[in-house]
Amino acid sequence: MKLFAALLAGAALLLTACGASSEATTYSGPAKEITVTIANRTVTPPPGRVEVAKGQQVKITVTSDVADEAHVHGYDKSAALAPGAPATIDFVADQDGLFEVETHESGLQLLQLAVQD
Amino acid sequence: MIWTAGTGFPSTGMLLAHGVGGRQDLPIPFAAALAGAVVALLVSFAALGYLWREPRLAGVAAYLRRPAWPLQLAGLIAAGYFCVGLLFGPDTPENPTAGVFYVLFWVGMVPLSLVFGPVWRHLNPLRTLHQAACALLRRDPARGWRPLPAGVGYWPAAAGLFAFVWLELVAPERATLPVISLWLALYAVAMLTGAAVYGSGWFDRGDTFEAYSTVVGSMAPIVRQDGRFAFRNPLDGMAGLPHAPGLPALIIVLLGSTMYDSVSNAPVWVRVVQESGLPAPLLGTLGLIVVIALVAAIFLVATTWAARLGQVSPRTVAIELAHSLVPIAVGYLVAHYFTLFLFEGQRTLARLSDPLDTGANWLGTADWTLQSLGATPAAIAMLQVTVIVLGHILGTALAHDRALTLFPHRTAVAGQVPLLTLMVIYTVLGLFLLFAA
Repeated sequence: MKLFAALLAGAALLLTACGASSEATTYSGPAKEITVTIANRTVTPPPGRVEVAKGQQVKITVTSDVADEAHVHGYDKSAALAPGAPATIDFVADQDGLFEVETHESGLQLLQLAVQD
Repeated sequence: MIWTAGTGFPSTGMLLAHGVGGRQDLPIPFAAALAGAVVALLVSFAALGYLWREPRLAGVAAYLRRPAWPLQLAGLIAAGYFCVGLLFGPDTPENPTAGVFYVLFWVGMVPLSLVFGPVWRHLNPLRTLHQAACALLRRDPARGWRPLPAGVGYWPAAAGLFAFVWLELVAPERATLPVISLWLALYAVAMLTGAAVYGSGWFDRGDTFEAYSTVVGSMAPIVRQDGRFAFRNPLDGMAGLPHAPGLPALIIVLLGSTMYDSVSNAPVWVRVVQESGLPAPLLGTLGLIVVIALVAAIFLVATTWAARLGQVSPRTVAIELAHSLVPIAVGYLVAHYFTLFLFEGQRTLARLSDPLDTGANWLGTADWTLQSLGATPAAIAMLQVTVIVLGHILGTALAHDRALTLFPHRTAVAGQVPLLTLMVIYTVLGLFLLFAA
């Protein structure tokens, strides 16, 4: 049981070392520009993760072949999509986490924003 | 869990509850996942040779008491309050009902049971209603029309759990009031019918949420015995979980469904679903079944292998070792749902003051603003890896101890190799999902 306790303590130490956090910084680089096209319910580029720095400006331009609404979850930003006309959602990614960008009518996921320091 | 936005809502309230308005956890850093996996492996090897050589865990079951009436009353009042929003509230994201059901009730049952043990039997409004109906009819609630067959065990609870996780993770429009109402109505009818036929003992193992609370609550460090509160080693608690058919199935559905929730969030899975052109609920159902089946297959292969080495029947090994999956499942549940509970729980509490969305502040929580409570991505990742590894350590200890009683002495060490392999696979799989999905 002693060994068991020692292992437990070792595990805790190891994990603590790995969890060292970095301080939040204000980002002052260029904006992240993302372009997505939806045609015939197919999303191009296919849904994936886009890394964004916390505090970075994000511009997501969506062109859909049908009328729809694009929406960034968590940030609650949306843009109405008219068929064939590009629409842009522009915001500052000021909270960390993983956020989905999707369309509401067709229910398609366009991408996931991974916002971190 | 991702709650899809429903259609037909006013555009300002388009978004249904969706994590913290849609926030999900970032993948854990690769180094953290690797460190967790290495610790899990080291613990397993150390366990094989150096842990105790004689069975030690006494198996202290939580004494299942008659439900306490103040808690029963509290359960009825809470259920009644929940029904105000469910039946009379607007079907919009401002309605707290979905948050209460999926976050405060379902996820919140984990911390509640971890601290207080199997509490849902006291709070369960269906059990209380059955008891009240029996009192009116001057019948003994424990006696039904016929005795509950012993072979039934936890199977009804496991089936009910599958129905619940399907609702939570797959069902279309699952955050809307009609869908939640329909599911709850069917569930209540099924449970009250079971209780009418088999007596109140039905709830012990037939009611999904009581069984869930019992399984998680077996880890509670505090038990009430002979009218007094006493401390108990959580390992003894889990070792004391009563064996019953269906217990492995119940725990495997719990673990498998939570893993499916991770898988379904991975971009790879999203791509497959969207490019297949098939309806999302169909693929979601298939995915849920496949992940649960995979978790079950790994368990059955390992326990059958161990049974062969130890010359015991595979069925016995599977049922006897089910309890060792409890800490692994609970660890994964905590890792997966911690931030959802933290953030969406706060939002739900704030909305709970105004279930009819009339601007009311019945509970005084309406003005609460979201507190991060120190949950930075690094802290969250650390917590996730820690609880998964802790689950692995506890599971390994439980399997080790049970193997000593289950297998003949000379095969006890060899018989553990499959079980440790099983634990390592589950843990590494869990860490991999937190890293990749």
